[in-house]
Amino acid sequence: MSERKIVVPGEKIAEGTIKMPGAYSEGGATYATLVGFIDETGRYVQLESRYTPTPDEIVVGMITDSRHAGYSVDLALPKEGFIPSRAVRITLELGDFIVARVRTIERGGVVELCEVRRLPKGKIVEFPSAKIPRLIGKKSSMLNILRTNAGGDIVVGNNGYVWMSERCNIPLLLKALEIIRTKAHKPGLTDAIAKFFQEQKR
Amino acid sequence: MGDEIKEIVMSHMRKNIIANLLDRGERLDGRKFGEYREIEIQKGVIKTAEGSALAKIGDTQVLVAVKFEVATPFPDRPTEGVLITNSELLPLASPTFETGPPDENSIELARTVDRAIRSSEAVDLNSFYIEEGKVLGLFMDIYVLNHAGNYTDAATLAASTALIDTKLPKIENGTIVRGEYAGMLTPKAIPISTTLVKIGNHWIVDPSLAEEQVYDTRITIATTDTHVCAMQKGKGCLTKDELLSNIDIAFKKGSDIREILLSSASS
Amino acid sequence: MGGLKDVKLIVDGKRLDGRAPTELRPIKMQVGVINEADGSAFIEWGNNKIICGVFGPRECIPKHEANPYKALVKCRYMMSPFASLEEHGKSGPSRRSVELSKVIRETFQNIILVEEFPNTEIDIYIDVLQADGGTRTASITVAALALANAGIPMKDMVTAIAVGKGGDELIVDLGKLEDNFGQSDMPLAFSAREKKILLVQMDGLLTREEIEKLLDMAEKGAEMVYAMQVDALKEYYLKDEETKFKL
Repeated sequence: MSERKIVVPGEKIAEGTIKMPGAYSEGGATYATLVGFIDETGRYVQLESRYTPTPDEIVVGMITDSRHAGYSVDLALPKEGFIPSRAVRITLELGDFIVARVRTIERGGVVELCEVRRLPKGKIVEFPSAKIPRLIGKKSSMLNILRTNAGGDIVVGNNGYVWMSERCNIPLLLKALEIIRTKAHKPGLTDAIAKFFQEQKR
Repeated sequence: MGDEIKEIVMSHMRKNIIANLLDRGERLDGRKFGEYREIEIQKGVIKTAEGSALAKIGDTQVLVAVKFEVATPFPDRPTEGVLITNSELLPLASPTFETGPPDENSIELARTVDRAIRSSEAVDLNSFYIEEGKVLGLFMDIYVLNHAGNYTDAATLAASTALIDTKLPKIENGTIVRGEYAGMLTPKAIPISTTLVKIGNHWIVDPSLAEEQVYDTRITIATTDTHVCAMQKGKGCLTKDELLSNIDIAFKKGSDIREILLSSASS
Repeated sequence: MGGLKDVKLIVDGKRLDGRAPTELRPIKMQVGVINEADGSAFIEWGNNKIICGVFGPRECIPKHEANPYKALVKCRYMMSPFASLEEHGKSGPSRRSVELSKVIRETFQNIILVEEFPNTEIDIYIDVLQADGGTRTASITVAALALANAGIPMKDMVTAIAVGKGGDELIVDLGKLEDNFGQSDMPLAFSAREKKILLVQMDGLLTREEIEKLLDMAEKGAEMVYAMQVDALKEYYLKDEETKFKL
């Protein structure tokens, strides 16, 4: 049973005005805006958040429109992403999955992408963006466990889209993702995943 | 608008993955073709209603509540009670549900479940006569709380369970005495619906949300112990043999699910 | 119904349901009850049963309504036709539910950091499945949980409670009969930390002194409700086993 202390929106997490994600400052103190907890190092970790893209981040998406000027990309965000035609050498098709880097975010909210790479045939699923770090793990440790056991490649976008190759054992991988989703930030996640894959081997 | 385009393109891509898995005998969530997701039923959940039930099939959740009112009978059936079924696809149940009056999906759901209940004669409308010009009206409200695929079967299940939970109101001087009851409704039949979809060459029962987004043909078949009491085909088409084979499956699944209903309803 | 106007709301210091004047009805809350919504919660407050689902920030529809500086907050409060012990109500919005949708939206517009998501909308859907007085304050309380579950940034948690007067006594957390036949009903919503008033409505007759006392009573009641909200969030996010959702 976890002894962690929950932090709810409005709770003070620091004295002074400190700029950090999931918090706001007012009157000489900083308060949480999202539900989270304080970890062993005293850091405030969010348990829920809505992804806001920042330049240089890696995202995964799907082409939803192709025009002369460029492509529209679904990124599981309120506004779509955009790839200018000149930014990509190959021709992308409706439904193609891509991995790319965020170049800029327009004032209207449109995310412009660069360094676009088309992903092979596969499937994308949504995964809560607050839990993406747990899905990747320290130095990609969790992601590598998934890749090994799934038998195919997996690419994780910070925006909450996870691509898996059609070579993967998709039903198995979906179940593993569900375990990570429900147990992220709870103790025993790594063990639960190891146990899950062990049981599959029988 | 963006959500709709995304759904169209997404489902196109998803279909290949799902169809390929089916060719190998697998479903996305690991189920067998004839397997339902976990079913859970709660009876008597709304105390302000004369009868109610919450049915869950996997993550899909549907609530049905039954309320009585004194009603005017139809002119051609002056001694028969009335049964009125309404459904709401609540906007909180899915990003694809909008606010506003019931759309064609909501109306189809209400009419399909109504057909199953009415045809099976679960409710004896002849016993609802009060006096000249007055009969009991049974109002059944179907509330979809979470849409993770196949809300139709969850709705029929919740409706049949709610009827088992339903208490008949006490009637005095032609009006309902709220809070006082005259026994249980005791439905004469327990219709269960089975929904099947065809994706590529394969028929599967109880489609999940992902499977619902890519199917070619859908059919819902409601059965009692002995009869088919309702059928509703969604989009797509099927052969006579496919229909008969699906009816066999519906009887089998109906019988299994009816057992689950009865064992949870007795608690 | 006529006889009920003479009903004594307080007998021997106890209210109709046996409560003391400042006693709250039993309350249960659960977070994350339906997974298609971005965030959700369910509350049982006395005999009220209310479910809330939140979506967003998502694309603003219609597009011409979008605000380039902030997210639009939209709220739909609805009473189910089977929520009342009495008649089977009509489906669809009533004048009352339109007003409540507005005041609940205005409550949260104070507290959601809408500037973080320009050109989007945040949708709060509240459905009352069983009603027994105080649905608007229970709705605000459960909506705050659903918003937190959806990861929508808020300056503070929001807690709501109704206070008023019945049988010549100042009372906290009015039930349906007290609502209908009491002398005054004053629903309030507070931001948890600063106790700013985010919602206040009132009917009936109260003196200024009575209101001052009632505001104190409301703040104390709100603190109790806030503690339950924190527990509900802790239960969902930090507990090892998952609790099944039971209506």
